Amino acid sequence: MTIRVKVVDRPVGEVSYVRATVKGLALTLKHLIDPHKVTVQYPDEKWDISPRWRGTHRMLTTEDGTAKCVACGLCPTVCPANCIKLVPGEDEEGNRYPLVFEIDEFRCIFCGYCQEVCPEEAIHMGRHYENAEYSRDRFVYDLARLTSQTHPVSELWDPADRKGE
Amino acid sequence: MADNTVNLTIEGRAVSVPAGTSILEAAKTVGVLIPHYCYHSGLPVAGVCRMCLVEVEKSPKLAPACATTVGEGQVVHVYSAKALEARKGVLEFLLINHPLDCPICDQSGECELQDYTFQEGRADSRYREPKRFNPMEDFGGDVLYVQNRCILCTRCVRFMDDVHHAPVLNVTERGDRAFIGKAPDADLTQPWAANVVDLCPVGALVSKDFLNKARAWELDRTASVCTGCSQGCNITVEMRDNVVVRFKPRANEHVNHFYMCDEGRANYRWLNRPDRLEVPMADGRPVDWEVALAATAALLKGKKAHIVANASLSNEAMHLIKRIAGKTGGAVTYAVNTGIEAALPGATDLAVRADRAANATAAELFGFTRTSDVLSGLSAQHVLIIVDDALDGISADAVAKAGAVIVIATAMPTAVARANVVLPIANVVEEEGTLTNLRGRVQRFLQSKQAPGLARPSWFVLADLLQSLGEVAPHLTARAAFDALAKAEPAFAGMNYDTLALSGQTVPGALAGARA
Repeated sequence: MTIRVKVVDRPVGEVSYVRATVKGLALTLKHLIDPHKVTVQYPDEKWDISPRWRGTHRMLTTEDGTAKCVACGLCPTVCPANCIKLVPGEDEEGNRYPLVFEIDEFRCIFCGYCQEVCPEEAIHMGRHYENAEYSRDRFVYDLARLTSQTHPVSELWDPADRKGE
Repeated sequence: MADNTVNLTIEGRAVSVPAGTSILEAAKTVGVLIPHYCYHSGLPVAGVCRMCLVEVEKSPKLAPACATTVGEGQVVHVYSAKALEARKGVLEFLLINHPLDCPICDQSGECELQDYTFQEGRADSRYREPKRFNPMEDFGGDVLYVQNRCILCTRCVRFMDDVHHAPVLNVTERGDRAFIGKAPDADLTQPWAANVVDLCPVGALVSKDFLNKARAWELDRTASVCTGCSQGCNITVEMRDNVVVRFKPRANEHVNHFYMCDEGRANYRWLNRPDRLEVPMADGRPVDWEVALAATAALLKGKKAHIVANASLSNEAMHLIKRIAGKTGGAVTYAVNTGIEAALPGATDLAVRADRAANATAAELFGFTRTSDVLSGLSAQHVLIIVDDALDGISADAVAKAGAVIVIATAMPTAVARANVVLPIANVVEEEGTLTNLRGRVQRFLQSKQAPGLARPSWFVLADLLQSLGEVAPHLTARAAFDALAKAEPAFAGMNYDTLALSGQTVPGALAGARA
């Protein structure tokens, strides 16, 4: 038995490639005349990132340059990735401070819970994304590294509308 | 029903309690916890905090549940709108001068002010005035007083007055200036004073030793028994990252009520000592357990053993030592360090006992010889087996008299210059077992910490040793070791880990012969 194939007889005007080719060339020509730029000339130029961007952490300091952290232990508790190591200590005046404060940025999932839970507004997510290093161990940020960074920090919420209403 | 029973309804639940019981205690029996600060089962009722206000039907005012005794046919509402409103007000007043420094407060996570505020307090503060500020005060001993956090429940004052009978604390000043004052020239250095830290429902009295060390929610807690003296206080071992950070008393009305002494509290540090024995050794070389046990058996073959046992070893270990001694025909000696006995006057039969060892009662029951010179009668014909004894006051020369030395211990005694075999064992928080206190109460302790290296539980090592001597002791669990002990020793007949539970059982007839 032979197989019958239905042959559709379409008009040439509809199936011709000429129309599509001309249309595509017209678009190319349009971009040639009026360059609509999408590419950013990184690193000379950088995009504006959202104020709520959550990048690698930064620890804010008091006026005398020490970390604001009081080692309350809420961030290691709330951290779902378990990436914060904190050992509390006591200074000469009997104040609590972090003896060891380390964040493993490889483990971090950048959820921002640490910033949200911090009662002292000490630990913050950073508004930047350039984190390249030459070795893996440099990604465990210690307290000195966290306090010495200067990039802007994330606003997890609108300062004018703290409850997010 | 007997005449002295009162029937009432609390939160819709029918309750029958003896007459004279407070509403708060009656509510506890049906699982309703009425919030309270100043009330504590071990202390006289003060009724000052007003936190336990509840609504009693047909009563014109709200009643403090701690100070109101139950009445026939009473209908009590703990969570009615009126009661909740009143307690919300109480909490708002308590928080007026409270610094809300929870992030740096040691009590955070186990604070009743936090708990009840979260449960039924206001979400925000209406207080706009500056808060009162008072500096911290060192109360001496292990106690630090942070006045700002104090809610003046006076539990500490009542403990020192009525239980410790050492009235050094009081409430000084009045109104919002009031604080807990300490008698001049007095310190909280009394042997049981640190209990005020546990009694304090907030972070006003904190332990200086524990200060800023760990947060309450980071701790792993295990039920155990204090080995500081023969009282055998029930404790909770609290650890952070496999390091014991503090002991807390665990309530047991038959032994320590709600308390433990300061000496016992400070007794956790040696459990973290770094110089532990970690691998079995034979002739100075690290070897496998099987090799070490075979070497021990070879040394003991045809020789008499002289066993020195630590008087804080578990019942299970002591029983196995007795069997090893029976097999090898030797004597078992033990020494007990003694100290000053210090009673807690307001609690029945509770004291830091003179015998500073946890299990001297069992050693006596098993017929071991109590002596200060644990090596008396030792000669070259003997194989000396030291089971976790530090050999305090014993010279290296005295130990060297033995034909061979086997050390079964957590750490090497300094007097032992050379040991033929070393078998590392776990310490009291690293193994499971039971201890017998001076009143003959057999109490279980559970494992909280991991043993270092290849160290094994003492009962496991001793049972293995007994097996390699040709006896039958297939104890794979502490429970099995205790069952074997209960079968062999009439004093422990009928006991097992289930009947002991966590509050213990008393050896029959032990009270008569107990050494005070």
